[in-house]
Amino acid sequence: MLVRFWGTRGSLPVAQKADVIRGKLARALVAAGGRSFADEAAAATFIDAELDFATAGTYGGATTCVEIEAGAGAFIVCDMGSGLREFGIDSFRRMAGGHPRVFHFFQSHMHWDHIMGFPFFGPAFVPGTEIVIHAGHADAEQALRRQQEEISFPVPFEWLGATISFRTLAPGEVHRIGDVEVELMAQQHSHVSYGYRFTDAEGKVVVFSTDSEHKIEKMEREANVARFFRDADLVICDTMYSLADSVSMKEDWGHSSNIVAIDLCHEAAAKRLALFHHEPTYTDEDLLRVHGESIRYEELTREDSPLEVLCAYDGLEVRL
Amino acid sequence: MQWQDEQRGGGIVALPTGRVDESTAQDFSAFLEASVGQAAETPAKKLVVDMAGLDYMSSRGLRSLTLAKRKADGLGVAILLAAPNDVLREILAISRYDKIFAVSDSVESAL
Repeated sequence: MLVRFWGTRGSLPVAQKADVIRGKLARALVAAGGRSFADEAAAATFIDAELDFATAGTYGGATTCVEIEAGAGAFIVCDMGSGLREFGIDSFRRMAGGHPRVFHFFQSHMHWDHIMGFPFFGPAFVPGTEIVIHAGHADAEQALRRQQEEISFPVPFEWLGATISFRTLAPGEVHRIGDVEVELMAQQHSHVSYGYRFTDAEGKVVVFSTDSEHKIEKMEREANVARFFRDADLVICDTMYSLADSVSMKEDWGHSSNIVAIDLCHEAAAKRLALFHHEPTYTDEDLLRVHGESIRYEELTREDSPLEVLCAYDGLEVRL
Repeated sequence: MQWQDEQRGGGIVALPTGRVDESTAQDFSAFLEASVGQAAETPAKKLVVDMAGLDYMSSRGLRSLTLAKRKADGLGVAILLAAPNDVLREILAISRYDKIFAVSDSVESAL
């Protein structure tokens, strides 16, 4: 199983401005300390070995879109955030190489940051493409059609050339779809959200759990969440806020924290956690700090096997 | 997780010991809320949680502190955290709980 992150930001896409890039370059040059490099490959070796990720790269700014490659069959994609546009472009390349022209989408929910990529998803315009949109929400079709009404977008949904169907999935059942088995879990979020647990033919498990608040008055329910995460090879988890923010000024905003995500993964004996749905106001330096603090919290609170804590970024690939 | 409390300096000083995790957070929460009730009857209306005996606290324990604070705010009681060990101090910083609770180096300075 291979998991590709095409969009990792929450709420709103963000982009790096010129002064941010300038700052990264300045820090890199200072770190180089006057050294010269024979070619770009030598410079890349220095970058990889000596610069932190916030200087050498960026966590990116596209909103949520994650691809799960679990076999040779249909594409499997969680959420249609702005990262979907780039995935669509890449899928053309792969379809030209013989990949089936079938897409299975799994929607956490239908809020704007999770569907805004669909009007720019190239394969939807191409006849002969088959798109199946799975959701826990019965109103998923209404959300996508409404997004492309004239007042918001120039191309109506009906003009799309692909064959598009919608399928409402029930939580508590195991659904066999494409190359994976899929289970759903209802989550606390405005208009409800759903987490997905995917199991491939080799038994590898990835959980996609975004836009999920773990309410302070209902902590007893977290045993069910830990059961849903049980023994997962990777849990992709909403970690938008600090724990303090999530229980104070940002309570009821529908999101979780790195601290709760780590505790749930520990309880579930999960192997890896990907911090996800990053706060749009966070800089790369902020996210690097949160990642380091999360690794440290995991070390401080570990009782059994270590949990590897990743910080998802646009372009990250995780092979399970 | 064990719990002791006493009247001191016009308020209540509570001394939990051990670990606060998934298995003990419910007891920790119940003790905390009872101590908030006791602190409401004291002249200083203050509950100092002496953390020196706590080895570790997970998010369940931290969130129990928030639930207790909500009750305390309604009763006009201040909750202060005192003498956390190095591990707890780090956890309070990583969770940003040191931004929403006053943290003192010692019980005496919190009273």
